[in-house]
Amino acid sequence: MGHAKRLDATAGMSSNTAQHRAPARKRGRKQIGLAFIAPFGLLFVLVYIVPVVYAGYLSLFQQKLIGGNTFTGLANYTKLFQDAQFWDGVGRVFWFTLVQVPVMLVLAVVLALALDSGRLHGAKFVRVSVFLPYAVPAVVSTLMWGFMLGVKYGLFGSLNNALGTDLNPFAPSTTLLSVGMMVTWAFTGFNMLIFHAVLKAVPRELYEAAALDGASEFQVVRRIKLPALRSSLVIAVIFSIIGTFQIFNEPQILPSMVANSGITTHYTPNLYAYNLAFTGSQQGYAAALALVMAAITIAVAYAVQIRGLRNAFDH
Amino acid sequence: MRSRKKARSLSAALGLMLVLGACSSGAADGGNNQVKLTVWSWDDTVARAVPGFEAANPNIKIKVVNAGSSYDEYTALDNAIQAGSGVPDLAMFEYFAVPYFAIPGKLEDLVEFGAKNLKKDYIDASWNDVTVDGKVYALPSDYGPSVMFYNEATLRKAGVKEPPATWDEYYNDAKKVRALGGDYYIAQDTGDLFFLLSLIWQAGGRPFKVDGNKVHIDFTEPGTTRAVAFWQKMLDQNLLNTKVTAWSDDWNRTLNDGTLASQIMGGWLTSSLPQRAPKAAGDFRVAPMPQWHRGDEVGAENGGSSFGVPAAAAHKDAAFKFLKYFTHGGGLAKRVDAGAFVPNTSVLASTDSQSKVNKYFGDQKVGPVLAKASKSVASDWQYPPFFEWARSTYGDLVSQFYTTGKGSLAEILAQWRQRMIKYGNEQGFKVD
Repeated sequence: MGHAKRLDATAGMSSNTAQHRAPARKRGRKQIGLAFIAPFGLLFVLVYIVPVVYAGYLSLFQQKLIGGNTFTGLANYTKLFQDAQFWDGVGRVFWFTLVQVPVMLVLAVVLALALDSGRLHGAKFVRVSVFLPYAVPAVVSTLMWGFMLGVKYGLFGSLNNALGTDLNPFAPSTTLLSVGMMVTWAFTGFNMLIFHAVLKAVPRELYEAAALDGASEFQVVRRIKLPALRSSLVIAVIFSIIGTFQIFNEPQILPSMVANSGITTHYTPNLYAYNLAFTGSQQGYAAALALVMAAITIAVAYAVQIRGLRNAFDH
Repeated sequence: MRSRKKARSLSAALGLMLVLGACSSGAADGGNNQVKLTVWSWDDTVARAVPGFEAANPNIKIKVVNAGSSYDEYTALDNAIQAGSGVPDLAMFEYFAVPYFAIPGKLEDLVEFGAKNLKKDYIDASWNDVTVDGKVYALPSDYGPSVMFYNEATLRKAGVKEPPATWDEYYNDAKKVRALGGDYYIAQDTGDLFFLLSLIWQAGGRPFKVDGNKVHIDFTEPGTTRAVAFWQKMLDQNLLNTKVTAWSDDWNRTLNDGTLASQIMGGWLTSSLPQRAPKAAGDFRVAPMPQWHRGDEVGAENGGSSFGVPAAAAHKDAAFKFLKYFTHGGGLAKRVDAGAFVPNTSVLASTDSQSKVNKYFGDQKVGPVLAKASKSVASDWQYPPFFEWARSTYGDLVSQFYTTGKGSLAEILAQWRQRMIKYGNEQGFKVD
């Protein structure tokens, strides 16, 4: 709290001094500020605001192979809310997120704590090798996992042969699990690095004090390290939710490797939007879907943020 | 050219790159009446015809661009047409994609260039493929008559001396191959729509009837139900490998190790099978598709493509000139030498194609088999103008059946029809 008070005091001081200055000078300063953010602002408008507005505009039209474009108002949206295929995809990413994100983050926290404990042999090697999958493009990793989990000649095929089992990681009922594994493999290292960096920033004196007080390693983790991780955990959760809601590469590529994995053209909302726009030539409908999906993602991420941050700063 | 499955494996990112790339490859005019043509093709043999054409037409320069295969190219072309820039002067289309572009007016009618006079030089069925409502929208550039590639060594091992000539024999032979145990199967199928359609095609079913904007879909004709029931029986009795999908690495392995006794597919597989299954060299042979009645000679089509001139193209006259050159005129021979399998009657009848032995196929004369299969393709097949969308939807419907055995092909086709009716009507067609 003391830190926050100091910040408030300096802010008050600067606004006091500004009041004594000439108003013209103040305006000039403001314009300089604008000039500084202009390059960013321009790009932001060009690559973010304009496409969103354009998507909103597109979503009000229906494209027909016969008859061309017609203005249909909000028809695309009402159709979308009744589209079972869309909700099927939303439901899937929702459950996927609910299971995959906690698993991945718990793994990442455990790894970060292990690295930070200093008791790990070859810590550098572990850090790099766990992080490395993040640097592998999703397309490549999907191909790789596709080979490994393939039941015919892949690793799983050999496993089934050796154990006499008939497990298929790419059956319609298990594909999502396999995708979850690929995503976890790819992103655990990234989250681990974030947590590890946060732990590194914890002042060493705290540990010394804890040691003097006779705290056990477990108590140090519970009382010092985990509380330190709280706010970064919230951020990681939000990024992960956004990431999993937008899942696309894996379900897009897998069908070319494995037949009948149960991956449909509407497996995830993003995949559905892509197929609507580029196979079904329904760009307007795809735009409506994209906007609704963005709204859902923002709502979920925001809810998590409000809840998570409140909890994080209560302690 | 059957690379549609391969095309799927391109990443989305790559797809987007192609779209963006496509926008920048516009047909710009050079000075001094120089015409610069842009051709979109994933058929490598087209480039072979360029030097000869440029030598004969010094004022036309040709740039052949691979804007992706199949699906990716159509997407890129649709985007270019919508954007109004970067539209190529010639583009490649699988036969099923011709109505999709032709009916909304995205392709130029080639009749005005005199295309009708060329009809007699192509196999009837291939000409039918590029004709929509009496207008000609493309010229055939390669062809996929359905034939049976079979592994003679495997069939012998199973006690089959002659390749099956009828579907009844095929069924019996399938049981014998299956009796070898292990992973031995007469064929694989994981829901290959184009195979099923070729089976229906041969049996006389014509599920799609297209008349302008009207599309009639019916999977209950006797020819259709017969073909579907037969394949259902094959699947129900576990006579087909439903784990290995065509074009996958697994598929290559089964072709190599001989566990896949046969594959009924387009004739174009002739040129790529040696690379896919080098270890099986000398084992494979080509035979006509098994028949529904002994002694018949009815064939079907599985794949094949053509080239058309987009309505938004900049240099239509020059484009047609080149199109005619490499699909019909002086450039054809070069492409045939490079491995193109074309539906031109003159090429199919040539002594070269009739007498050449193919070492990979155990010194069999493959040419006559393919030529005969091409000529026997039953005519009057039609694809709905939204087939590109339809086939991706078919994929959504089949996986449950192929993995769990719940449901049936007939039910899937009925469901598929319902989806096509809904989509087609939304798109402004009259579908029933």
